Amino acid sequence: MEKVNRRTTLKLMGMGAALLVTGGRSLAQQAPTADQLVKGKNPKLIVLSQRPIVLETPYDLLASNPERTSKEILYIRNNVDLPGYNTVEGTSLDGWQVEVGGLVDKPFTFEAKELLSLPQHEVTMVLQCSGNGRSLYQPRTSGNPWKRGGVGNVTFRGIRLKDLLSARGVKLGDKAYFITAHASRQGNAPEFVRSVPIQALENALLALSMNGEPLPAVHGGPVRLVFPGYFEVNNVKWVEKIEFTEAENTTAEQMPRYRVPAIPNTHLPFLPQEPGKTYPYGFQNSRPNWLVTLNSFIFAPLEGQTVEGPYVRIEGVAFNDGIVPIVSVEVSTNGGRTWHQAELERKEKSFGWVRWRATVYLRPGEREVMARAWDAAGRSQPIDGNIAWNERGYEYSGVMRVKFTVA
Amino acid sequence: MKKPYLLTLAVFGLSLAGYLALSQYTLPEGPGKDLVLAKCQTCHDIGFVARESLSRERWDAILSEMVMRGLQVTPEERAVILDYLATYLGTEPSPAPAQIASPKTGAQVYANCQGCHGPQGEGNPPAFPPLKGHVENLLKARGGREYLLLAVLHGLQGEIQISGQKYAGVMPGFAWLSDEELALVLNYLAAWGAPQGFKPFTPDEVEAARAKPLGPEEVLKIRKELPLP
Repeated sequence: MEKVNRRTTLKLMGMGAALLVTGGRSLAQQAPTADQLVKGKNPKLIVLSQRPIVLETPYDLLASNPERTSKEILYIRNNVDLPGYNTVEGTSLDGWQVEVGGLVDKPFTFEAKELLSLPQHEVTMVLQCSGNGRSLYQPRTSGNPWKRGGVGNVTFRGIRLKDLLSARGVKLGDKAYFITAHASRQGNAPEFVRSVPIQALENALLALSMNGEPLPAVHGGPVRLVFPGYFEVNNVKWVEKIEFTEAENTTAEQMPRYRVPAIPNTHLPFLPQEPGKTYPYGFQNSRPNWLVTLNSFIFAPLEGQTVEGPYVRIEGVAFNDGIVPIVSVEVSTNGGRTWHQAELERKEKSFGWVRWRATVYLRPGEREVMARAWDAAGRSQPIDGNIAWNERGYEYSGVMRVKFTVA
Repeated sequence: MKKPYLLTLAVFGLSLAGYLALSQYTLPEGPGKDLVLAKCQTCHDIGFVARESLSRERWDAILSEMVMRGLQVTPEERAVILDYLATYLGTEPSPAPAQIASPKTGAQVYANCQGCHGPQGEGNPPAFPPLKGHVENLLKARGGREYLLLAVLHGLQGEIQISGQKYAGVMPGFAWLSDEELALVLNYLAAWGAPQGFKPFTPDEVEAARAKPLGPEEVLKIRKELPLP
């Protein structure tokens, strides 16, 4: 082994130092764009984090696709990056195995391919990161600074988990209170586990496709366990183990992450935490980000736009956890003093978002419009979203305001 | 006449470059910065940390959460990290960044590596391979020099074998370091042992390697296609 002697070492180091002084021109590096990070994504997506991959859909792109959010523009919030899975292409079902166990009489393992022979079921649902809208909280909370683009409306197709259990003749134990799903750890990926209440079994889907195409690898392909009506974090990507358990899982993704403060044993929607303070998160004084919070978004006009008056069409979408229908969306043009009823596309229960529209009369000038949804359970949105402030900035559902100009 | 001019230009260039780099990719200069980088970057894109501004209390809570998730820090390191975060990424405007008076040396840039690979490049199996000895072997092998640059620049993810020992850690890319800093640290590694006639890494070479962004898995693929030790 030929060692570099001391003189050479000094020469090398000196040369480096000299280069540092004379160089410096390329210090400001080009950050990679969304399509460089994930093959097939729209390059306009906002890169919130390169590792793990977090991409936000720009609001105008979201709004200009109000029916369905395509795989090219759908946001990404990964907690885990599987090596080789950063693409919107599907991935092979071959050899993908999922273990089903815990409190069941007959634990079993199935191959993803077997699912193709069972009855398929389709659900259109809102996929939303529980941190969506986080940057609207004041003071700022920790985590990726989502604006409103951590959401999409997608159609999953797959096999109901309960159909698979009954096809196998599997019975749940009496104490199976939670469904706990584990993501694949291939390529040495860190652990990712989430638990949801057993009621979620009613609609749980082992999804193999999204928007009529093979489930993109980056969105959890080949198999993702989907719970319509639940925040995205519960919809475990690359699922490799499903357990029926008596208690919530105790890993970091279940506590303290992805929880909001709650008064123990009450059904109050939320316990306001004093903005800016920390909270002693425990299993008893907080609840997980499970069911999607009622929310509405204004898709037109967009912030800063100039529109023709005096009759202005206001449009958007509203959604909830799908347990009861959205019954009304109201629009205000005077800061919330009075409200107009918008027209709803439909009034059935839905896991997907419901489109709405209203026409308002506005004189020329700078105007602001607000939108607020109500559902059949009497739930609505706070005018001041900050009353739900929590230090990680989850579940923002404050009334949306848009400023624009009427010509 | 010419010398002071060049010096002023160099200082100006360096500050401008430093400003650009600081504003985009890295953390403000201050005591503890290198420790924060060493401890946070394995799992996080550093921009994720750099754009936060939280109270000391909340940074403390986040550190507790990270320890729960497996972050290895001694109480002393934790105190330094918390001080740094609360001071430079706190709710108050952070103090002016310390002046980078003298050019960095490779040894200083190596502070980014030693958290995982050890102060003397001794490694820490089974997650982090040794650098001393191993880098020398890499540089002697065909394609090893190019591979080393790619691994440092873009990171490496997946299982590799070095002298019969399996390593399966995740190495982040260090693309946020400047071309010069990367050249410095690579030459620092080469100074532990390099083949005869070794040509030092240059910033231009690093810049050229940046032109094609690669993922850590792609670097692994390249590694597997080369006859590397």
